[in-house]
Amino acid sequence: MRVRSIVLAAVAVAALTVAANAQDKKLKIGFLPGVVDPFYQVMQLGVEKAAKDLGFEVVTQVPPTWGVEAQTPLLNAMVARGDLDYIITAPVDKDQMVAPLKAALDAGIKIITVDTFLGDGDYASGPVTFPLSYIGSDNVEGGRISADGLAKAIGGKGTVYINSTNPNVSSVEGREQGFKDEMAKKYPDIKVLGPDYNLDDMNKAQQQTAAILQQNPDLAGVFGTNVFSAQGAGTAVVNAGLTGKVQVVAYDATKAAMDLMSKGTVSLVLAQKPFDMGYMAVEFAAADSAGVTSLPKRVETGFAILDKDNASDPNFARFIYQVPGQ
Amino acid sequence: MAATTDTVASADAPDLSAPRRTLLLLSRLWAWFFLALMILFFVVTVPVFSGGISFLTVRNSQNILIAIVPVLLLGLGQTFVIISAGIDLSVGWVMSLASVLSALALRNSYNAGVPLPLAVILGFVAAAGAAGAVGAINGIIIAKLKVPAFIVTLGSSFIVRGLALLWSENTTVVGLPDGVRNYGNESLFYMIRGEHGGFYVFAPPPLTGDMLRQMDRILSWPVVVTIVVVALAMFLLHRTTFGRYTYAIGGNAQAALRAGIPVDRHIIKLYCLSAVTAGIGGFLSMLQFTAGSASIGDPLLLSSIAAVIIGGVSLFGGAGTVIGTVIGALIIAVLTTGLVMLNVPAFWQFIVVGAVVIVAVLIDQSRDLIVGRYKG
Repeated sequence: MRVRSIVLAAVAVAALTVAANAQDKKLKIGFLPGVVDPFYQVMQLGVEKAAKDLGFEVVTQVPPTWGVEAQTPLLNAMVARGDLDYIITAPVDKDQMVAPLKAALDAGIKIITVDTFLGDGDYASGPVTFPLSYIGSDNVEGGRISADGLAKAIGGKGTVYINSTNPNVSSVEGREQGFKDEMAKKYPDIKVLGPDYNLDDMNKAQQQTAAILQQNPDLAGVFGTNVFSAQGAGTAVVNAGLTGKVQVVAYDATKAAMDLMSKGTVSLVLAQKPFDMGYMAVEFAAADSAGVTSLPKRVETGFAILDKDNASDPNFARFIYQVPGQ
Repeated sequence: MAATTDTVASADAPDLSAPRRTLLLLSRLWAWFFLALMILFFVVTVPVFSGGISFLTVRNSQNILIAIVPVLLLGLGQTFVIISAGIDLSVGWVMSLASVLSALALRNSYNAGVPLPLAVILGFVAAAGAAGAVGAINGIIIAKLKVPAFIVTLGSSFIVRGLALLWSENTTVVGLPDGVRNYGNESLFYMIRGEHGGFYVFAPPPLTGDMLRQMDRILSWPVVVTIVVVALAMFLLHRTTFGRYTYAIGGNAQAALRAGIPVDRHIIKLYCLSAVTAGIGGFLSMLQFTAGSASIGDPLLLSSIAAVIIGGVSLFGGAGTVIGTVIGALIIAVLTTGLVMLNVPAFWQFIVVGAVVIVAVLIDQSRDLIVGRYKG
């Protein structure tokens, strides 16, 4: 922990130095998140705030749907601009996005990944090492926390179900893995179903959860691995009239998830820190361009664990995803 | 049989006044003008609003070509099908299926000791073969059992989707050998700008650091393959009996039958063709992303149909060209790239494409008015 603080302090100093020299060369940064959703909107706020503080310019494009066919043309067009120094992105597939991002690197643009990573996420000695850094949640740990939270809520026994978004995406894959491992290790009386993949479609998440509820009338809990899963699963539980009987643990502290919590459908919400991810990624770009060579290859931004009791405490409520205009 | 000989003005309008002739020509070439205007618009506005960056660069032209590959390959076979007054809704998922199966074939044969170039060819065979089989089944049900194409291909798209997800085990098919990336991303020519610059064929010189930034890849392998497929399609549609039959069936299937054209057999071939070009699209995207994906083609289906319609293919059948579809695909890709360069949300692309599709159909319908077909 201490080492990380020192490194981050160094980064901040370097960033400020760069800001002071901003007239010399104004960095241009591309921001390419995964899809349109509140999580990435908050991340965009972090990116834009940092860019404003440091005097950089940001070019943002958001893919309308989750997938390499949506993300790659936008990436290529950003590269074709020819004026970007860094691209901050959440790769939508840990294998398929390697070639397109490598091509961006070949064009002289440095890559920082946020929220999701390439390969196995070990940019020091893993199969993919070219991105500067991964800044995001420790999703395996997040899966474990979710498992513990759900196990506690259902009293340590019963059947639970995972609803996830897309296969082969580092973030949600880590969550599923951590969740399953923790359940297998610590809660032998809990049986885990799923994951089903809703392909970032809330309606589908709702249908899938409704079907599981039909099939398993004694279902005790649901783990929704992101915004879409949690909202869809939560809605299915409400529609089935099972509020309170089926516990939901949700990744991502959207307004909708918090509403479901205040109604008693969702018992625990894991808030990630997208603002931190966005802000720090820009600082890393600043530090790298200033010549800092000891940037950590992986930064875990941690979680805020929200439940009914702390959700109104300002120290926790600040982690609810606040998007202007909503 | 008028429509079978040629689709351009002279055939359906033998004696028109000069202004009408001009109008008719405009109605056929408007997509070209629209594309040219759009490029001009971006060439002028991008440097002004985005701090001196340029729209007209070699790299950008190559990006646009790479971007049109999947949309175009889905649209090429579709062009034939729609000219014959049919529709193929299964191409998106056929592309996904081909992506998954070609990745599995390539990976498994390579792991069994087959050398890489041969494994890549096996991947192609798997993609084209599976796609062709789907197309044949579509065609047989449409032609022999007389079920509407819309329904048949809608149904088969669901079946193919299920198979693609099952065979990919609901995840991305990975673990392809490293060299595959070169097939999908390296190119025929390389150009290096600057004082140590030059033009290279097949392989770039050894480069370090900043030199890479000066290098443009020109005509990447998927683009080369697509150009070949486009050329073949143009030949097939505009220079062969196959093409004439296609126009004839779309113009009037009954008349075509009476003229002795083997309509059923031809329809089966058309749906095979449509599926195979989509399958080639799946194969190329597998090479480009170095993985097979069961969800890769689905989002492209509607864009590809939009490209075909913008390109002037009549949904009523009997009219259209291959080059029109190329223009349609280019319009969509140029829009995306231009908007990103202007730093405008690329979502505007959907709004513009939607409007252009509707305009395209209006112009298609107005053609009858120009020719005076409804004026008694």
